[in-house]
Amino acid sequence: MIEVSNVSHGYPGRDGTTFFRALSDVNLTIESGTFVSFLGPSGCGKTTLLRIINGLVIPTGGEIRIDGKKVTGPAPDRAMVFQEFNLLPWRTTRANVEFPLECQGVPSAERTKTANRALTQVGLDRFGDFFPHQLSGGMKQRVGLARALAVGPSYLFMDEPFGALDPQIREVMQVELMKLWDNDRKTVVFVTHSVDEAVFLSDRIIMFGTSPGRIIADLKIDLPRPRWQDDEAIKTSPQFVQYRNDIWKMLKQQLHQMPAA
Amino acid sequence: MSDRTASSLPLKDPLAPQGPSAFERWWLKSGFVNLLRISGLTVFLAAWEISSRLGYLDPLFASSPSLIIEKLFDMIRDGSIWPHVAASANIAGIGFALSVIVGVPMGLLMGRSLTIRATLEPFVTALNAAPQVAFLPLLIIWLGIGISSKVALVFLGSFIIMVVNTEAGVSQVDRKLIETARSFMANERQIMMKIVLPSALPYIIAGMRLAVGRTLVMVVVAEIYAATKGLGYLIFQAGGLYDTAQVFVGVVVLAAAGVILNAFLRWLEKKLAPWQHVQGS
Repeated sequence: MIEVSNVSHGYPGRDGTTFFRALSDVNLTIESGTFVSFLGPSGCGKTTLLRIINGLVIPTGGEIRIDGKKVTGPAPDRAMVFQEFNLLPWRTTRANVEFPLECQGVPSAERTKTANRALTQVGLDRFGDFFPHQLSGGMKQRVGLARALAVGPSYLFMDEPFGALDPQIREVMQVELMKLWDNDRKTVVFVTHSVDEAVFLSDRIIMFGTSPGRIIADLKIDLPRPRWQDDEAIKTSPQFVQYRNDIWKMLKQQLHQMPAA
Repeated sequence: MSDRTASSLPLKDPLAPQGPSAFERWWLKSGFVNLLRISGLTVFLAAWEISSRLGYLDPLFASSPSLIIEKLFDMIRDGSIWPHVAASANIAGIGFALSVIVGVPMGLLMGRSLTIRATLEPFVTALNAAPQVAFLPLLIIWLGIGISSKVALVFLGSFIIMVVNTEAGVSQVDRKLIETARSFMANERQIMMKIVLPSALPYIIAGMRLAVGRTLVMVVVAEIYAATKGLGYLIFQAGGLYDTAQVFVGVVVLAAAGVILNAFLRWLEKKLAPWQHVQGS
């Protein structure tokens, strides 16, 4: 379980006189085994909150507890998937997946075995000896996902993981993520600004508003699972359309309140 | 006439785009450039040789390609060149190796730690801006006229290049990769060895290419003073005796060493860092 209590975060502006508030007094509890999306416009602090939850950023106010323990930095039971993939260009696919295991001192033979298993999970078992620059965007993010899965995390944090992919590849990846997730139903926190993506994947959507970044809505998405078997049927169901329209309405209200829009 | 099997089709598809032939591609890619290189050099050497023979150039002052080659082969045949080559190679090798061994870690630490950078930066900037040759008299006073002062001069000139280049490489490291490593529990030492060093490697090798040039300059300068052998000694000894062919022999050997080492480092760079190639001088 993830507990976010009174989290605020900010940093001094470029000119040094202003203080930019990225997040204001956020409270949130995420139950284990749920798939939760953070949805909102750019600059609403959703990525910042994800990084705070993972321990990469220490908030200026409030605290995070995961399974009752206060978060003070990254931990081995949490893994992150990044929008820009962030693969090491000098390492092969397999060596990239082994990287977190190396950092945690896992012996070499076991590392290779775990990495191969993770690559098989994402369908890249034949690409272990390829370098990132030889792979397509979708394949790179599969490597990013395999790298996160290799550490066997209880919590998977995904920061706009499909944001850099073509729309078609993006849908394929969503379906495959659902398929993978159904195997063990880890706790996933998924940042996105695609409404359709959030509705299709999530059990629950946390909507963020801007200036300052804060939670404006908390929606339960009650669509049947598994969702990967017939994704088209789900995406065209009346329930799905209803969710999507409701969320769009809320987002548009947000945009009208923004000074620049 | 109605035989339309594959073997009866014309060899070339008339609708296929007519790209350049293999020869044309080779010619445009490297053949033309190499021809210019070779012909430029040939014309220069031929003009030198002919003007020298026809008396437009005084061989006593300008020597000539044939005289230089003759001298070079003479010195190889009687073995008189080897002690000089060995002495210079020794100084260059030790000095260059020390530069890399000290300069790279120092550059890495300066790139990663604000404290270390702020402390060492004034020294690095000053030493980099100063003509390091000016330290030679001091080095001779401190270390004597043996090999130590010469190695020290090479080191002083080259290690500063390694520090500056390595630090520049570290500042180019993608912050996102460092954050990724941190999210996977990498400690500072692992970030340094697994992220920063491989990222900075192309810059480090580009630095080594520059340092090779500096090393050769410093060897020659160090051997002008208080040396009894070495290519620098050979050159200045010959200059004093108006033996211009021998001066050129020394220059040619040094230039050849520089070109070969540079080519080797370029090859190494492509081998170790195929994903990016820093344009160095």
